[in-house]
Amino acid sequence: MIQRVFALINMQLKKVIREPANLFLNLLFPAVLALVFGLSFAGIGFEMFAPGLYAYACIFIIMTVAQSFTDDRELGLLKRINVTPTTSGQFIGSHIVSNLILSIIQVIIVFICSILIGYRPLGGIYGILLAFVFIMLLSICSVGLGLITASISKSAGVATGLSFIFILPQMFFGTFIPLTPTTEVIAAFLPSYYVTSAIESIFGGAAIFNLEIISKLGIVALMAVIIIILGVVIFKKYGKK
Amino acid sequence: MELINNEKLKSNSEEKVESYTEKAIIVKNLEKRFDEIIAVNDLNLEIRKGELFGLLGPNGAGKTTTINMLVGLLKPTKGSIIIDGLNIKNELQKIKQLIGLCPQEPSVFKFLNGRENVQLFGNLYEMDKKEMQERMDKLFEITGLAEASKRKAKGYSGGMLRQLNLIIALINDPKILYLDEPTVGMDPRARRKSWEFIGALKNQNKTIVLTTHYIEEAEVLCDRVGIIDYGELIALGSPKELMKQHQAKNLEEVFLKITGRRILEGM
Repeated sequence: MIQRVFALINMQLKKVIREPANLFLNLLFPAVLALVFGLSFAGIGFEMFAPGLYAYACIFIIMTVAQSFTDDRELGLLKRINVTPTTSGQFIGSHIVSNLILSIIQVIIVFICSILIGYRPLGGIYGILLAFVFIMLLSICSVGLGLITASISKSAGVATGLSFIFILPQMFFGTFIPLTPTTEVIAAFLPSYYVTSAIESIFGGAAIFNLEIISKLGIVALMAVIIIILGVVIFKKYGKK
Repeated sequence: MELINNEKLKSNSEEKVESYTEKAIIVKNLEKRFDEIIAVNDLNLEIRKGELFGLLGPNGAGKTTTINMLVGLLKPTKGSIIIDGLNIKNELQKIKQLIGLCPQEPSVFKFLNGRENVQLFGNLYEMDKKEMQERMDKLFEITGLAEASKRKAKGYSGGMLRQLNLIIALINDPKILYLDEPTVGMDPRARRKSWEFIGALKNQNKTIVLTTHYIEEAEVLCDRVGIIDYGELIALGSPKELMKQHQAKNLEEVFLKITGRRILEGM
């Protein structure tokens, strides 16, 4: 089983590195975003934007996962893998692991870029580790939403467009854009909202194991479990056709 | 590998067909419905171990649906499938270790090179690294793709992609190999070369199920053929037997006689 999963993770990471569009979206985009926001708002409140940037990059995993699954389906690769002893769990599990690896790299990139610009997060090493945990849970949510997008998309092109159904609300109501009472209601259903506000607290110097952060961790973990299960079930039922 | 002539292959087939006793595939009362459409209807078939069996039929006859059920991609609506003594219903994982599928459209990861593609599938079968390496080298050598094996598949020609498609299907050394239209779109020279290759596989005692539009291909390669139309098996036998039975000069004439008559009956 391990040999299979490792082979699939290796293939998926190569897909990111070797496809220019994937490489840009997954690894260069977070860096560009951090630098652009950092240079635009340095000294006038970049610390307000920085926590949202961690989640921002991770949200785009929805698009790359949806494209990857629809592409593999269109090219008959899902069928071909299905003929081997690989189970759906191993295949989807490998996607989760490869995207967790990507999200860790994304966080490191954003972190380095924001440090270079002058952002100094508080919270110490444990704070950084906890921020990683939040981002990894968001990454699992993104894989699940990507699977749902792939299930309802007939082609990779359609998947790109449809993925914005999940990307846009999270971008506007769950990262760094200030919320109104109305958008706050919507935000309550978005994992990126809890991730961003938790990272804000952690990097703002709050005690890392306070009730607010722990409860947000619980909510995001629960959302991750529900979304990934939903994604797998929907993809198994409708996504393979 | 030197080019083979059709007659040589034909005579091999006829000698071999007598020696098969055990069954590799047993299909009983197989049916597949898609809502109201019956894609495969009450199919009964036995394919012997080491046999090269051809599944022929016009477009939409139910060939690919049948193959998809035999490899476990589709669940039958009714009926049973036994592969090498294992029931597909509850022993699919074991069956998957025994089979290889070469799909009609080359299904390869274009951003990987030839070797990486084959290695990926070898790993999915959890093959021993050394064994995989040796088998891969051999397959690339035989197919003449060794030189291009380190190039990304994105730059491969149609013929090269088909060869890679076939190598992937063979990496786990399957006991049963399904070839779905393996030579479609190939030029005559490349098709001949593939026939040679398939002929060589036959001598390794593999059971091969081949679907093809090229009747000549089936006549040259197959020990027995089954003609399927509207999801039903309408003829079964060795090419020679079918030609004799239908008083035809070649298998193509048999095919046209049988399927053409059904078209007329349906009008």
